[in-house]
Amino acid sequence: MTTITSPAAGAVPRVAEALPPRPGPFARYLRETALLVGRGLRAIPRVPERLSDVTIQPVMFTLLFLYVFGSAIHVHGTYQDYLLPGLLGQSVAFGAIGAGVATSTDFSSGVVDRFRSLPVVRMSVISAQVIGQIIEQILGIVIVAAIGLGLGWRPHLGGGRAAELVALMLLGLLAFTWVGVLAGMLIRSSDAVQGIGFAVMLPLSFLAGTFVPIAGMKLVPRAIAEWDPLSALVAAVRQVCQGTPSGGSLQLDHPVAAMIAWCALILAVCVPLALRRFRTASV
Amino acid sequence: MTPPELTVITDGLTKRFGDLVAVDHIDLRVEAGTVTSLLGPNGAGKTTMVRMLATLSAPTSGTAIVCGHDVVREADAVRSAISMTGQFAALEDNLTARENLLLMARLRGYGRGAAGRLVESLIDRFDIGEFRDKLIKAVSGGQRRRVDLAASLVVQPQLLVLDEPTSGLDPRSRQVVWSTVRDLVDEGVTLLLTTQYLEEADALADDIVLIDHGRAVAAGTPSDLKARIGDQRVDVVAVDSRGLDGLVGALSGRFDLTIARERRRVSVPAPDELDDLASVAAAVRASGIPIDEIALRRPTLDDAFLALTGQPPATDTLSDDSLVEVAS
Ligand SMILES: Nc1ncnc2c1ncn2[C@@H]1O[C@H](COP(=O)(O)OP(=O)(O)OP(=O)(O)O)[C@@H](O)[C@H]1O
Ligand SMILES: [Mg+2]
Repeated sequence: MTTITSPAAGAVPRVAEALPPRPGPFARYLRETALLVGRGLRAIPRVPERLSDVTIQPVMFTLLFLYVFGSAIHVHGTYQDYLLPGLLGQSVAFGAIGAGVATSTDFSSGVVDRFRSLPVVRMSVISAQVIGQIIEQILGIVIVAAIGLGLGWRPHLGGGRAAELVALMLLGLLAFTWVGVLAGMLIRSSDAVQGIGFAVMLPLSFLAGTFVPIAGMKLVPRAIAEWDPLSALVAAVRQVCQGTPSGGSLQLDHPVAAMIAWCALILAVCVPLALRRFRTASV
Repeated sequence: MTPPELTVITDGLTKRFGDLVAVDHIDLRVEAGTVTSLLGPNGAGKTTMVRMLATLSAPTSGTAIVCGHDVVREADAVRSAISMTGQFAALEDNLTARENLLLMARLRGYGRGAAGRLVESLIDRFDIGEFRDKLIKAVSGGQRRRVDLAASLVVQPQLLVLDEPTSGLDPRSRQVVWSTVRDLVDEGVTLLLTTQYLEEADALADDIVLIDHGRAVAAGTPSDLKARIGDQRVDVVAVDSRGLDGLVGALSGRFDLTIARERRRVSVPAPDELDDLASVAAAVRASGIPIDEIALRRPTLDDAFLALTGQPPATDTLSDDSLVEVAS
């Protein structure tokens, strides 16, 4: 038999390091969550296409609607002031797709299994996933807003409105990210998550008054639009940014309240389901 | 004599996926300080078994005690005592080899300084230096595997679980894994590893458990099992199926034949190795039947199944190699 000379694995003696005493569960949770969020953030500049997913598309929508379709769409005020809040709302909702793709990739690659086989607090793995995704979406949203401002968007954010907007967007991001995390855990292929995500979100977002006022729509799309959760999201952002009222259905008469209600409902459904799935997952 | 200390004890451990029983009442005992290998073909239930032991999936029924702790009720204690390297390298693609190892060390609870020192030693030990700062997505499969293994060893676990640690590795990397396993055993680590290769189980394990269709179909030390499997075999491959019939006719009186029709192959146990090869070759030659190939080879997993269970392994997952019948 031929002998293959093996490189000297093990010839190097082990460095023994004593494990420091284990802190309490909450301290560990914070530490582990921070470590895992750091892992996700470090990856962002290395996968520029992931960040471009959350920016290129809204930028294309901005340019397309502003300079191609915009002249045919009639709104009160400038079209920039109509369109940009819509795009911000859409970005929040599309956060679900990004979170779903990232989650299913992590789950199917075995990385999550590895974390789960470590003595870490279970919640820290999933918290880090949610926080990391929200940070990534925020980066995309900031870029979209900056481009919008450059192209003539003039939000009216005095008198605490800015804080209200940030709070509202964060709530929206939180809710839609959990939708994505749940979907990413249930659907194993990230391509499928992407496909299904767009198939669901794109029509909902077109119907939601993002680009074109709902009031001008035909009966059936209009009926859907009036109850589309994305309509509430878009109308709420628009009301806070521009003070533009909307109307036509109960939720559109009170968009901010409606949006908060939708987010609460989404969180109440998705968080427990996602946590249960995470605990029992045998992907 | 005191009974040996047991690192893994399972009783009636079972996992169902709907109607499929992936692991079926397995009673496993792994003695501290030994290497136990779960040997079985694709779909046998090896991964499912070790995932339950590593607390990644909950048993449907039965119990498993790992390092003295119940995998369901004391999962956190089990996780502190074991390390697992899964079947598919579980690393973050967009971090470098070094960053991945650092993250693992930090998640285990080490501070920045200690983690850094540990990672340097692992990089030396596993020969990672050359690609330490490359993103994992840009390194080769074998290199990934090495980082993956190193990631399981940021702590010295009581039990190391390796799920098919050498599948997809070239012979050199396989040797690295093997020698690492032997070193770890010398350091007192208990090992549970799964494999599809009889040769690997033979080379590394103190005990082998043969698994098929979720059931433990045979168990013993490698020498026990080898004694039951028979040593080498002589394979004769006919040029066509008529040739095969001819060969069977010519050889069946004198040898204990196993016939694989799809492969046009007859196979004869060869405890005396070269002598048996010579006598089979002489018989083939005397028959005047043309053949494709004649060779002496080590027993494969299929031979092991056939010898130990009287039937070929799981039908749904196997190559044509398994379409085997026994003649005498
Ligand atoms: N999450 C799951 N859901 C449904 N069926 C599963 C799941 N995981 C495994 N199985 C099934 O359980 C059986 C055992 O699978 P397992 O992965 O344990 O086999 P294995 O011995 O590790 O095979 P391989 O050598 O291919 O890795 C297979 O039939 C597989 O299809
Ligand atoms: Mg497997």
